[in-house]
Order: sequence, then structure tokens, then C-alpha cells
Amino acid sequence: MNQAVKGPGDLIREVLEQNQCTVCGLCVGMCPYIKTVSQKVAIIHSCGLKEGNCYKACPRTGINLPELDDMVFGQERKDQALGFNRGIYFARATDTAITQAAQYGGVTTALMAFAVDQGMVSGAALSGGTSLSPRPVIARTAREVISCAGSKYTAVPTLTALNKAVGEGLQCVGVVGRPCQIAAVRKGQALSRTDPSARIPASRAGLVIGLFCFWSLGFDFYRYLEEKAGGDEIVKVDIPVEGLAVTTAKGTGVWPVDEIRPYIREVCNTCADCTSEWADVSVGSTEYDPAWNTLVVRSDAGQSLVNRALEKAVIEIKPYPEERLKILRKAALNKKMRVLQNLDRPGPEYLTVPAEYLSEIKQQWEELQS
Amino acid sequence: MSIFGVGLDQPGRSVLLTGNEAVARGAIEAGVAFAACYPGSPTAEVLPTLAQLGEKFNIYTEFSTNEKVAIEAAAAASFAGLRSLTICKVDGFNVALDFATAISLSGNKGGMVIMVGDDPNAHSSIKEEDCRFLARTASLPLLEPATVMEAKEITKFAFELSEKIMLPVVVRCTTRICHASGDVKLGELPTAEKKASLTRDQKFVTTPLFSQFMKSKIKNAADMAECSPFNYYTGPENAEKIVIACGPSYNYALEAVEILGLKDSVGVLKISTTWPLPENLILRYLKSAREVVFVEEIDSFLEDGVMTLAAKYWDEVGKVKFYGKNSGHVASPKGPFAGELDPDVVTGCLGKIFNAHYESPGLPNIKEARDLLNNNLPGRELALCAGCPHRASYWAIKTAVELDGRNAIVLGDIGCYSLGLVRTGYSLLQSVHCMGAGIGIASGLGKLDRFQFKQPVIAVLGDSTFYHAAPQALINARYNQSSMLCIILDNETTAMTGHQPHPGRGISATGQPLGKVEIEAILAGMGIPVTVHDPYDVEGTTEVVYKILQETGPRALVLRRACALMAVKGRKKNRVYVDQDKCIGDDCGCARFCSRVFACPANIWDAQRGRASIDEAVCNGCGVCASLCPQQAIVVERTV
Repeated sequence: MNQAVKGPGDLIREVLEQNQCTVCGLCVGMCPYIKTVSQKVAIIHSCGLKEGNCYKACPRTGINLPELDDMVFGQERKDQALGFNRGIYFARATDTAITQAAQYGGVTTALMAFAVDQGMVSGAALSGGTSLSPRPVIARTAREVISCAGSKYTAVPTLTALNKAVGEGLQCVGVVGRPCQIAAVRKGQALSRTDPSARIPASRAGLVIGLFCFWSLGFDFYRYLEEKAGGDEIVKVDIPVEGLAVTTAKGTGVWPVDEIRPYIREVCNTCADCTSEWADVSVGSTEYDPAWNTLVVRSDAGQSLVNRALEKAVIEIKPYPEERLKILRKAALNKKMRVLQNLDRPGPEYLTVPAEYLSEIKQQWEELQS
Repeated sequence: MSIFGVGLDQPGRSVLLTGNEAVARGAIEAGVAFAACYPGSPTAEVLPTLAQLGEKFNIYTEFSTNEKVAIEAAAAASFAGLRSLTICKVDGFNVALDFATAISLSGNKGGMVIMVGDDPNAHSSIKEEDCRFLARTASLPLLEPATVMEAKEITKFAFELSEKIMLPVVVRCTTRICHASGDVKLGELPTAEKKASLTRDQKFVTTPLFSQFMKSKIKNAADMAECSPFNYYTGPENAEKIVIACGPSYNYALEAVEILGLKDSVGVLKISTTWPLPENLILRYLKSAREVVFVEEIDSFLEDGVMTLAAKYWDEVGKVKFYGKNSGHVASPKGPFAGELDPDVVTGCLGKIFNAHYESPGLPNIKEARDLLNNNLPGRELALCAGCPHRASYWAIKTAVELDGRNAIVLGDIGCYSLGLVRTGYSLLQSVHCMGAGIGIASGLGKLDRFQFKQPVIAVLGDSTFYHAAPQALINARYNQSSMLCIILDNETTAMTGHQPHPGRGISATGQPLGKVEIEAILAGMGIPVTVHDPYDVEGTTEVVYKILQETGPRALVLRRACALMAVKGRKKNRVYVDQDKCIGDDCGCARFCSRVFACPANIWDAQRGRASIDEAVCNGCGVCASLCPQQAIVVERTV
């Protein structure tokens, strides 16, 4: 990670002006000058300081893959496609109230609601709000968690809610986030570990549930969505393989995925993590059976959460079909290959990927082709 | 003495009054029946004084939406045979000027006086304008009192003069007359019944055919000025050196001549009828004079008039040397055409001109005071009051503009919120001209898209300014579909001039309920979409401003929250304090946001503890800083 003394000015030059801000929300609320609205982040006033946590903690000013692997899991990864994991399953929530409201199997909602309910976390930073205006939310009860169910396809700066919750004195706050947000939380925790006096509220996160994310859409997408809904209230938005599906009271309309490609944010093209590799557990679609989710169990904390959830029958799991796993790993590696381009050269500047990881990526990619 | 003294029925008694009160008393003695005003410093206190005595003396008083309406309403009373008074500051007289230039042709009936406040040094104005040129442009006779007592006498006389020559009369009072206090000898109170009468055959028509008639009225005024008791000379007979002065400057000149020991050689001619000038009176002194000094404030009005006179009668006047603003000899420390005069400045000027020794004593004990303070006196910046909703509005607008990132242009207007030009308003404003100008400029900028001008345009103005001058510009923006956002900082009062009511308050000058004229209803009637939000909710306001900024066409946002000073009057305030454990001082990345950047006067820095603090004596309990503190270290104990 960068050792030079850097602060908000550098953050503007290197990240914001380069359209490399992921809108994770980590820096928003750490000081009074970084603000967000409509999924846009800006430094609205110069604080005059040369050095700042805003720069240090930003996931786009440096992510060191093996360092984070070591901090979260105590070991390096073997699977370059999906990152360190203890098991991959098909999973779904048992509560139909959740599965109806949530995307696919409702595992994310079920696990976080369970964690809140059991006191494993004091609250959770989530993306709530409506389909057309999602916003960061602090959920303090299981019911509040459930009210946030459903995927948001744009970059909600969820970590602002985490910062707020920590500021309000909540300890051990759960987080559900995109891979960039999970990386931000873990980077913040790594910084706090090396410098306990560093004040990074995100480092106080408890349980971390990561989402699968191949890209997120820009805020203009809402205008497009509104058009497609034709003024009717949107009940659900989904982007399965077939394309964009928008459900209103009148029914579901599907549009080709190519139509939404122009809304994909530039910053997502330099992201090599599509399965939230440093989460406690990661959850995504199966791209196969809409009643189920893919559940990746990664850390000890993640394992124990899943175990307790299974014990209480909050979720159910079944083995991940071999051929589906191959497809998932291929998709994840494909994204990595694209981002890291020529594997002999380093990828985007913010990523530190050791040569050993690079050669493994190449090797595992070749294995998957056979 | 104040309001009590103004209303006393004790002729001959001397009471201590301010200049503004003296004008009110003069109007009462003259039997004024109708007074209308849009408040402006330094004359803002005249109308409230009359309003308080309105019941007792049967005077109708109103705060009008602007000065043009005020003068028109006052003219109506005059047309009906009543005596009427309009009170404004020079900037307001500009607004009223269109009507003023017309009524000089149509004439009036009942005595009609326009009191105009000039503000040398711009203590509470954005410019130093000299209203005397406007009076001359409008062909209205002009009178200038030199003392508080004279302010009463001249006001009273102005009504008589107006009735005699059938022209409104302008009484010019500078700040040092309006705000000074002095002994005023009370006169008789009127006993005549005030009855309005306007018959079908009485006409008040403006036509160029009457210009000659109007000139003859001015001639009458000039003739009357020749023997006016308000013009007089002090000094030796046939003096070769004279000072011609008007307004408070006359007193300074008199004092200067005495200090310099020039009483035997230098005469001082005081002129109160500065337009039209008493030509014969002035000529009498000019003929013997070889050196003439003009002492007056703001512009060279008297000087230009007398010099024109000297040119006209050059063969009688002979060789004279003139000293004044044009020659640069009479100047305030800011220059000849700026700033205020005072006895010290005038003595210095006269000393140089007449080669008399004068050493300014400076301020008494200034050195001792400096030593005592050891240069520790803190600098005092212009600042919005503690808890001012404008501060919250400006922070939200600034945030939204920065997030928007398209370099929005932010135009200002006249009011407390003009401070948006400086640090207390985050230097957000880029223009300030006159009331309503921000919207007019915005409506123009909003039409420059064909010339590749793509930046969003915001006009910021206050509620009182909205009623005063915004509707025409807004109708223009709506009619021509100009892309601009009008943000009305509605603090529910005319705060800057002293919380006078306006149409949005729905109460009269005397406190009677009248029903509100709603800003939203006006905008809706124009077809301009309007949103209302509470600026104390900074985060929400930011989102609203950002959202509306993304739209196009004419649109409006009302940020409504009562003026903090008005809101806490007579009420218990919320207690706000900094949790000294939660505030981490300079360890916080905020770099002293609350006391240094947000900079509400109540947010202070406790240097000893190295922590932020609240000056509870100053704090008005709004709690906005608490919502912005990144450590959530500011606690609001809500009592309201």
C-alpha cells in the first residue's frame, strides 16, 4: 500500500477525477467535507490537510490481495477464481415471507435478519429504499432487515450507514455490500490493525456479507427504469441471463441486457473481484435456479453463522452441482482475466497482485478451458 | 424619550429624539394622515414610530411591498387632499423614481413628503448613492436638515412647501441625522380633521405639456428658498474665504473653523434648500469670496450647483478658487467621493486649504488601549448570526453545487444573505446588485445555452426581496422559459432592517392580522414548479437542491425557517453543548470544521482543552452543527 503522505487532494486527483470512485461510502461521513448524493461522491470543501484517512482507507488507492487474504483468513487463497472459501452451496431461506420479497433464495436477507435477531450484530448497514430510490439504511431489527430485501443494481453508498451507525455508538455492525464495499471494510480493518489510533469507523464492522457483482449501473439507469415502468410502481427489478426484467402491478417486462450496458459504471471495468472475496460469506444468484442462491462460506465467522442458521432452520442448503461450479468459476476468472488484461503485466494500479497469484490465475483459467 | 416623546402634547418642551423620530414628530405636527414605507436603513424606524402612534393621531401606516408602490399609495392620499409621507433609503428611491418623475408633471394636492435616507460610508448599504441627483432628475424640491431638531422642523415645513407649490418634496437625511439623538423642541399638534376628498373633476395627469408649469413650480420653490430660515450664514461680513456646507457637514465645518481659529476670516454658509438653490442668497456671499470650500457628503451636488451658478454669473462673481470633492481637497480617508466626513476630517481639510495648523488628536487614549490589549483584540469578520437559517441553506447549496460538479453559477441579492459573498456564506455568491437583480441576471444566464453555456444557474434571494422585486423577473423567466433555479431563503421576516413584517407574515405595520400572501401560491400562479424544505435539515436540503438542479426550465425552492433571532425572542432556547469525550479535537479529520469552516459564531474552539466548544450565551439552539459534526460530538438538549 502507498506509503507516501497523501490526503484529500490526492484522492480527488487519483480517484474522483479519474472516475475510479466505487461509491462504496467508506469515506463519506468520516469528515464533514466528503458528501454523497444520488450515488455520487464529492469533496465539497478543502479541509486544508495534507494527510487523510479518506485517502488511506479508500479501496481504490491500494488493495493488496495476499495481505487481505492473510488478515481475513490467515492464509493465502488456493482458488484464484472465487478466493478463499470453506464451501460453496445452493442455499435458500426457509421463510417464504423473505423469499417472496428478496432476490432468488433470500439467503442474504435471511442470514442478516437472523444475525440481528440473535444479537450477533447490533444492527446492519444495508441498501434499502425503493427500486427507484435506494438508499443506505441502518437496520436495527430483523423486520427492518427484511424491509431492505431485494437487489439494487446501482452503487448505493451503503458504508455511509455503517459510519453513521458506528458514530451513533452501535458496536459490531453487520454489513451487506458489493465486493468493492467488502474490500473497503477489510482494508479499513487492516489499517486499524496496523495503526490502532487510526479512526476508520468501517473497521468496527462485525459480520460481513458480500454480494456477487459483475458491475453496477450509473444513476441514470433510474431514468431508464422509470421509462420502462411507464409510470407504474415497480415491484421488482431483476437482471437474469435473459435481460432486464421489470415487474410492475401490470406484469413483467423483459428488455435485452445490451440496452443497459451503456449504464455500466466505468469504475466497474477495473474491478477484479466479483464474488466479494473477503466477506465472511458471499451470496449471489445461481444463474440456474431462481429459487436458490449461491452461498460461499469463507471465514470462521461466516461458517459459524451458517451453522447456526442451519441449526435453527433459517436457511437450507444443498450441494453445489459440479458443472455449475465450473461455470461460476469460469465467469469469475473471465472477469479477472479481462481486468488484469495481459497477465504478465500488472493490472489496474490500485491492485497489488503478486506474480505467483497471476500465474495461478493463468493456470486455473487454462484448466477450466479443458 | 423615544415613542413617548414623539407623541407628547407639550408644545415648547424639549425632548431627546433620534433623527428618525424627529422626522416622525415633524410629520405628526404637520398633520400627516398616510405613511407608506419599504424598510431600509437608515430610515427604517420612522414608519414603526408612526405606526405606534397611528391610533392616537389618526394616521394610516403601511409597509408596502416596495418603494414604488409606497410612493404611489402615498400619492393617492395626497390626491385625496391628505398629507402623506413616504419613507425609503436612496436605493428605494431609485425604485420609486419612475413614479417620482411622473408626479412632478401631474402635481399633487395634499402635502406630500418623501424622506430619503442616504448612507455615507455605506454602513448598512451596498453602495453610497447620493439621492439629491434623483430629486433633481425628478424635478422635486430638496431639503437637507443639519441637525436632529432641524429634521423635525424641515419635515414639517416640507409638507407646507409641497402644498404651496403642488410638488412632492424630498427630505434628505443621512445616517448621522437618522441615527443620532438630539434635543427636539416640540411644536403644536394639529387639530384639523383629516378628511379624504377626491372629486371626479380633479385630474392628475402626466403629460409633457405641463413641463413649463412644473418649471414654474420649481422657480417658486427657489424663490421661497431665498428667504428660508433653514439657510443662514455665520461669519464676518464680505468674507473672502467662505465654506458652503449642508447636512451634518455644516456642523463639522462650523466646529473646524472654530478649532482652526479662523472665525474672523472664514464664513460658513449653511444651505438646507440644496435644490433648487437660493441663487441670490449664494451670490451675495460669492461676490466677496475669493476662496470657496464645499463641505458635503457623498457626491459634489451642492458644489456642482454653486459652480454652475458661479459660471452663470461669472462677470459678477469674478475670480474665485473652489475647493471641494472635485479638486480633491475635501475628502474622507476613503477619498473625496467615498466615506464619511467628521469634525476631525473637515478640520484637517480646512487647515490645509487655509494654511492653518492642525494636528489631529486621533482617538483619545488609543495608544494606551492598544498597549492594554497587547494586540490581542480578535478580528471581527462579517458573520451571519448564530443559528441563522441562511448558514444552513448556504452549506446545503454549496454541498449540492459541489456534488453536481458542473460549476453552477450562484447569484445573490439584497438582504442578510448578501453575506453569502464572504466567508460566513462560504463565498457562494458571485453577484450582488440591487433587489431582485439576481433573478433578472439568472433569467438571462438561463438563456445562454445556444452559446455553449451549460452551467446550472441559481438565484438566491430572501422572502422580503421576493415580494419587493422578484415577481416581474420570475414572470420573465417563466415566460421566456429560462433555465434557472430560484432559491428563496424564507426567514419569515424582513430581518436585516429589524424584523419588519411583509406580505408573507400576514400582519400589518400595526400588528393586525391580514392573511398571508403565500410565496408558493404566487409561484404556482406563474406556472413555476416549487418545492418547500426546512434548511435546518441540511442533508435533506442538499438532496432537494441537487435534485432540482438536475432539472431544466424555471423552477423554485423555498427554504423556510424563521430568523433565529426572531424565533428565540422571549422563548427558552435548546441547550447545545459539545460532549468533551466524543470530540477528539485536532485528531479529527475535520480540521476544526465547526468553529473554523461552518463558523457559526456560537461554535468556538477551546484552545486550552484542544476541543470544540459552544458559546452558550451566543448559541440560539438550532442544532445544525450537531447534524454536521463527524464525531456526533455535539449534543442538543431539546426544549423546543
